[in-house]
Amino acid sequence: MADSICRTIRDGALEGEHAPSLTIKDTTASPYGFGVFTHVLSQASTLILAGKSQSRGLVVVAYSRSPSFYLDFLKRSGVDVASSQKWIHILDCYTDPLGWKHQLADSGILPSNSSAGACLFQDVKDINKLQSLILELGSGLVGQGKVRFSVAIDSVTEMLRHVPLSKVAALISDLRSHDQISSIFWLLHSDIHDVRVTTSLEYLSSMVASVESLNQSSDGLSGDLGNLSLLEQNFRRGKFHVRFKRRNGRVRVMNEQFHMEESGIKFTSVTVEDGLVSQGLVPKVLFNLELSEKEKLERARVVLPFEHQGNGKPIQIYDGRRSLAPESMGEVSADTSQSSTEECSNGGGEIIYFRDSDDERPDSDEDPDDDLDI
Amino acid sequence: MAATKTRTSSFSRNLPAASSAQSPEIKCGPNGTFLVSSGIPDLDKTLGGGIPLGSLVMVMEDSEAPHHMLLLRNFMSQGLVHKQPLLYASPSKDPRGFLGTLPSPSSPKDDKSRSHDAEQEKGLRIAWQYKKYFGENQSNLDGQRGMILFRFIVLYNKQEFSNEFDLRRPLDRHFYTGQHVDCISTKDLPNIAALQERCTSFLSQFSRNDATVACTGRIAIQSLCAPQCESSNMEWEMLSFIRSLKSTVRSAIAVAIITFPSSLVSATFCKRWQHLADCLVSVKAIPDEDKELAKLLTGYQDIVGFLNIHRVPRINTQVPAVLEATTLSIKLQKRRYLVLECLNQAPVDGSSGSSYGTSGSCSGASSKSGSLDF
Repeated sequence: MADSICRTIRDGALEGEHAPSLTIKDTTASPYGFGVFTHVLSQASTLILAGKSQSRGLVVVAYSRSPSFYLDFLKRSGVDVASSQKWIHILDCYTDPLGWKHQLADSGILPSNSSAGACLFQDVKDINKLQSLILELGSGLVGQGKVRFSVAIDSVTEMLRHVPLSKVAALISDLRSHDQISSIFWLLHSDIHDVRVTTSLEYLSSMVASVESLNQSSDGLSGDLGNLSLLEQNFRRGKFHVRFKRRNGRVRVMNEQFHMEESGIKFTSVTVEDGLVSQGLVPKVLFNLELSEKEKLERARVVLPFEHQGNGKPIQIYDGRRSLAPESMGEVSADTSQSSTEECSNGGGEIIYFRDSDDERPDSDEDPDDDLDI
Repeated sequence: MAATKTRTSSFSRNLPAASSAQSPEIKCGPNGTFLVSSGIPDLDKTLGGGIPLGSLVMVMEDSEAPHHMLLLRNFMSQGLVHKQPLLYASPSKDPRGFLGTLPSPSSPKDDKSRSHDAEQEKGLRIAWQYKKYFGENQSNLDGQRGMILFRFIVLYNKQEFSNEFDLRRPLDRHFYTGQHVDCISTKDLPNIAALQERCTSFLSQFSRNDATVACTGRIAIQSLCAPQCESSNMEWEMLSFIRSLKSTVRSAIAVAIITFPSSLVSATFCKRWQHLADCLVSVKAIPDEDKELAKLLTGYQDIVGFLNIHRVPRINTQVPAVLEATTLSIKLQKRRYLVLECLNQAPVDGSSGSSYGTSGSCSGASSKSGSLDF
């Protein structure tokens, strides 16, 4: 639930606890993680400007888009960017991450141009410098003291190109335990990395939001071409699955559907619930005294071999001696064969009933009819 | 109170010096082992009285829940309350700060009421559940004589051997500000050798050959393979570290507990690490507001997670331990006291409600009676 995520980010960190952190992950089958990231970014910005969130500033570490893109996006989403110097800082790791343009400009080959409104960072391999710069920018926004700010990392995937996992994890855990950080969120393209990377980042986060495609098959080419428009439509939709780690140690799982539009991403709730989660956790119960609905219906349908069925039909005496049926009990046998076929069609269950009196010879002294309750 | 063992052979073990002091923190265990408390009375009971000296306990963390911290906290507090030297390693920058959050033993008033009920309950049980009593107090019995006498002495002693900890009250400062408490941060260690050296030097104080050792040492290592540690990539080094720690602990009067996030270690190494443990448990998070699970388990609202016991320490014996239940539920009573209970699964109801109650199966009793020798 995107709202719950934004609320958690708005509420921020408690004293003495790690700051809430969000991993947004997507795959090539449904590459809309960036849409979710920008959605969270605009929501967080709105809340910061309105003064409703714990954090008073936002530092965006931009690897995959330029700072001007973010400012334009925020303007389009209705966030006031005129006063942006006061509450947002965008750390530009997009323009010149390794400092090559700077070197070329120094040697006179390229004209140098500076980007306004953003802080240019040219040394992405130095994670300590990045960390201190983030903290510096943040405290520049909110001042020293008890006020906190949030950090958004555009793409941890890009960060991991330059810096090994342990350093990225160290950066994130340092930021989380820092007094001035209110919340952190980042985007990750999970299919590019090893499983270890994804699980490590999930380990460090308190919320994991994954963007998945609607159709289960990973191969986009399945389905005939006639359904291409349907496929295309479905491609813009997907499932949004969030796992929250709560303070008491339980995990809240939420599901939504999203729809990618020109203006941004829209979330709708989904009603189907998944009941398979619990089955792996609890050891298998030995026996089950509960009946499901289906089982109850089938139980009601079974024809019992009692003389009274209780449904107003004429009494049928089921005689186990079917072999003698044709001459003496012609009608009855026809009825019984009917009822037995009815039984068979009712779910395949049969009750085979042998009356004790079947053992006796038909011409014995006792009249079996004496025992009947008609 | 000397253990009146009926000697069945002329072989007498060379008992370590600590036993003659008969301090309350050490209890005699089966097969010539000595037990210390893990800080959680229910866990002690499941493990057969406590953790044997010289064993290595490994806890497999769930990356979605902090339940391993509950185990660690109780373990460390128990050691500090008994004034046992402690070595604590964690991936945070300031491990000493964590000591301030350790729980304090619960106030005697609460303690008394609990054990009083237990005594009353057990008093009733002596009369007819004779066999079951053997199973619970096995560690103090080698013969049938003096059983009832022992029983009350054990109950009296129990208050000192293992304490109930109140998770909401922090431990008094004087418990952990002494020389005997040492903390290491594993985050910035370039390799695991530094940690290994510290552990070895710590354990050298508790060598079994030394007659002047007065107390047991405890080592608690939190999140050994956390991603923010530089050394988390070096899997072979970590493996050899665990192996050397295990052998050093085995020959010392000490107990070590290591928690590690099992999902972050590669599968083959995870298996290797699990094989090295003397006692292996894992904790698991449960989904929040899960209707399926709520129907399956009674008391679902109070449960915060599951504890699975994979291996019980069996030192000096080839007889395997057969546990009544390997999955226990972790509950926080009144949000203060950690309680481990057998799972109550619908429709099996009732008898396995509290940690004292067992499932009442005859098989449990018969497997334990096998270890009595006549």
